[in-house]
Amino acid sequence: MADLVLDHLTIQYGDVKAVDDVSISVASGEFLTLLGPSGCGKSTTLFSIAGLNKATSGSIRMGDKVLFDGATNTFVPPEHRNIGLVFQSYALWPHMTVAENLAFPLKLRRLGKTERDERIAEALKLVEMTRYADRYPYELSGGQQQRVALARALVYRPSLLLLDEPLSNLDAKLRERARVWLRELQERLNVTTIYVTHDQAEALAVSDRIAVMSMGHLRQLGTPKEIYERPADSFVADFIGSSNFLAGRMVQQEASHAVVELKNGTRLRTAPGQARSDGSLVVAIRPERIEIVPELCENSFLAEIGTGTYLGSIYQYHVTIADTELRIQTARELPPGPVHLRIPPEATAVYAEAPGEY
Amino acid sequence: MTDLSVQREGMPVIDRSRLIFWGVAILTAVLVISPLAPIIVQAFLDRPLYMSDAGLTLDNFARLFREAGMLGIFLNTLYFAVLTMAVAQVFGAVMAVIIGRTNLPGRQWIGEIFVWPLFVSNLVIAFGWFTMYGPSGFITLAVRSWIGVEPWNLYSLTGMGVVAGLSQAPLAYLMCLGAVTKADAQLESAARSVGAGPFRALWSVTVPMMRPALIYSAVLNFVIGIEMLAIPLLFGGPSGIQTVTTFLYDQGINAAVRPEYGIVGAAAIILLMLVAFLVWLQGFLMKGSGRFVTVRGKASRPSVLDLGRWRWALFALVFAFVFLTIIAIFAGIFLRSAVTFLTPLVPFWKLLTTANFEMIFSSANYVRSIVNSVVIALVGGLIGTAFVALIALVARRSEFRFARPLEYLALFPRALPGIIAGLGFFYAVVWVPGLDLIRGTIWILMLAFILRYIPIGFGAIAPALSQVGDELDKGARIAGADWLTTVSRIVLPILKPALFSCFALLFIHFFKEYVTAAFLFQPGSEIIGTTMLQLVAQGDNGPVSALATIQVIITAVFVFLARRLLGARIYG
Ligand SMILES: Nc1ncnc2c1ncn2[C@@H]1O[C@H](COP(=O)(O)OP(=O)(O)OP(=O)(O)O)[C@@H](O)[C@H]1O
Ligand SMILES: [Mg+2]
Repeated sequence: MADLVLDHLTIQYGDVKAVDDVSISVASGEFLTLLGPSGCGKSTTLFSIAGLNKATSGSIRMGDKVLFDGATNTFVPPEHRNIGLVFQSYALWPHMTVAENLAFPLKLRRLGKTERDERIAEALKLVEMTRYADRYPYELSGGQQQRVALARALVYRPSLLLLDEPLSNLDAKLRERARVWLRELQERLNVTTIYVTHDQAEALAVSDRIAVMSMGHLRQLGTPKEIYERPADSFVADFIGSSNFLAGRMVQQEASHAVVELKNGTRLRTAPGQARSDGSLVVAIRPERIEIVPELCENSFLAEIGTGTYLGSIYQYHVTIADTELRIQTARELPPGPVHLRIPPEATAVYAEAPGEY
Repeated sequence: MTDLSVQREGMPVIDRSRLIFWGVAILTAVLVISPLAPIIVQAFLDRPLYMSDAGLTLDNFARLFREAGMLGIFLNTLYFAVLTMAVAQVFGAVMAVIIGRTNLPGRQWIGEIFVWPLFVSNLVIAFGWFTMYGPSGFITLAVRSWIGVEPWNLYSLTGMGVVAGLSQAPLAYLMCLGAVTKADAQLESAARSVGAGPFRALWSVTVPMMRPALIYSAVLNFVIGIEMLAIPLLFGGPSGIQTVTTFLYDQGINAAVRPEYGIVGAAAIILLMLVAFLVWLQGFLMKGSGRFVTVRGKASRPSVLDLGRWRWALFALVFAFVFLTIIAIFAGIFLRSAVTFLTPLVPFWKLLTTANFEMIFSSANYVRSIVNSVVIALVGGLIGTAFVALIALVARRSEFRFARPLEYLALFPRALPGIIAGLGFFYAVVWVPGLDLIRGTIWILMLAFILRYIPIGFGAIAPALSQVGDELDKGARIAGADWLTTVSRIVLPILKPALFSCFALLFIHFFKEYVTAAFLFQPGSEIIGTTMLQLVAQGDNGPVSALATIQVIITAVFVFLARRLLGARIYG
């Protein structure tokens, strides 16, 4: 297996840039997730790797094989790329049984009947669907169809596996089990995988690395931990997990920390960061990192506990600090009334742009 | 692991899919251009186009308008077409609401009978009306002997228009039926919930939903009225009423002594432009009809209106209508074929004879025309289905650069009246060297028919094709199949029911066709339609009705088999 490299990939439809100058390289055997809100260009990127749409410029290489190059007008048609792809809708061919669905790509590769049957059996065993070989797709449940789609994408041992929201049609419980199973399977086969999802929990759970996209741009590329703990910008901070944002201006900037003045004049010590040229910025803090302290100290505020929501394992409350409504999350229930909240400087991040401002 | 070779676009790779794209596109273009080009050229030449000394001129148009009665002919055509359309739309729409949405007794089978006229040619219908309602028709005579006067005159423009309209009403009916039965029941329920009664809800919610169907079929029927030959020929001939098509037919066929190629070309161009304009207008009027889209994914069944005590009264009315305008017409043809002559004055069982059929079966020409018709319908239907399927797949499901233009090109024959297509191919075989080979054979007929009915076939396949999600093709491509393998192994098998329907529709249209063939057949390549045209001209009504009966029977058997064995959907 070889590395996959997307180099300055741009895909334009009319005057809309669905994918805008995206560069990613995926190591052999890696599980990379494209994550982003609906319409951000995930599927478009994935399909351009598959050759199902043609990029406008940039290049796509797999090992030393150039799949697409806008400069030299190279384009390898999808059928010559040897890539496995699982669609969101599974796209099982309705007029073929499960076994026939798997046999089709093997026949195209001119495999003999015995080898074909072996490979089909092996692939079906892999996805635990051996019993269903002679069923038609409409006779299967959604989860079973999804497994068959995966088996069909794996049966010809592709050099790259692409998955476009393969779990989004499953119910929440099944989805959670399926993603664990999928990751185990991927590790066992050691197949380079690019996975598309808009579900951040899924992305964080399964990926080696995550590429966060928004409006065609690559926002951040990193391990789940990096993405969650050190979001590159306020969009990522907002999209992954969730963050409170406090608008303010830079008062003091040091290597180790910064001091920010919030709208109502209170000062806040934060992690170091950049402000805009006019000094304005936003401070991001995750709801679960806001602490409840017995008395006022540095970086703490007096707040009133507002409406609360019980989220199952945790409680979430709305509170107002410095004229800004924030969410806090706690493990135990809070009585209504005043409370002291502290924003730990090391839990904050400072960004020049607010999440909606890109 | 299978190693895969990499192809580069820079190198000229001839892949078979690309060959097919271009092949289909070029073939379609040649088919569309071959009847058009000679007509256009001829219209501007002062001599027949096969003569080498022909020069350019505009005189044909001038002479056309100087021709005595030309203005009258155009006005006749317009009046006839407008009346055809109006009658067809009114009866079609009313029947659609009655059949589709009320609890009229027997509405199932009445609806089936109502579409019969679509299965046979206008020629057969015209002959049936002539037999029953003509000046010496069975019902005409019966009524005259009863009340003393003839209450109608079929040999008038109005008579012609009403007959043509009634024979086209099923087309409007089918389209409106689709609209009223697929209308989202929730829309009407919403109207009911704000206080409208059931009839009010139907009238103000569902009937407006028929608007796109009405507009679409109105233009369609108007075009059909303009290009219709049989009814004006049969009913207008005796009283000297001419329309553009009968003018073209007379000048092109009957004026053997003085073939007026130039004038015919000029008149053909005017007709062509008129029809092309109407088809464009249809597209224009249909724009933005999205707000009338009534079909939703999970539409519940529309509720049925209870007619209450009017049920049987309305049934009597509807049944009388269907009986008098459809059943009687077919019965007249069958009856006429089995008697020496048909009159209400003598009981028909005293006049029974098999002579009409004997005459057909003893004549090599007549038998050959039946055989030719079946062969053209079968073989042409198969070739046509394959060709149309390819066009649809390339136009809708390929990376071919000119996919959209190909679709426009393929749908152009909607604007090509049959008589012009026939005339054009007739010129083409005379004009283009080498085409002599197929001149006067059934192959030229097949070619012309296929061209003419590409849009019909396309209409049967395209909607089914858009139901097949494109990730099914994409899945096959990524699994390693090229375009051709993808469509032949994945898309076509899924499309099978639509392909059967396409074949059945093409078969029926080819089998009943006569106009397009009128200029193209020669002894040896006659078909039922052209033989009937000749027999009608000679006034041989016995053999005409025998031939018509045979045509109806073969069609009925085919429709039965196609529905049973192939599960084809033909008109509902
Ligand atoms: N064929 C096309 N023509 C024009 N615009 C397109 C086309 N395909 C995609 N787009 C546009 O490109 C953008 C990215 O689309 P894409 O399908 O990649 O989104 P996505 O990230 O996969 O979203 P989702 O999570 O909803 O599937 C969208 O704004 C979409 O409208
Ligand atoms: Mg998508």
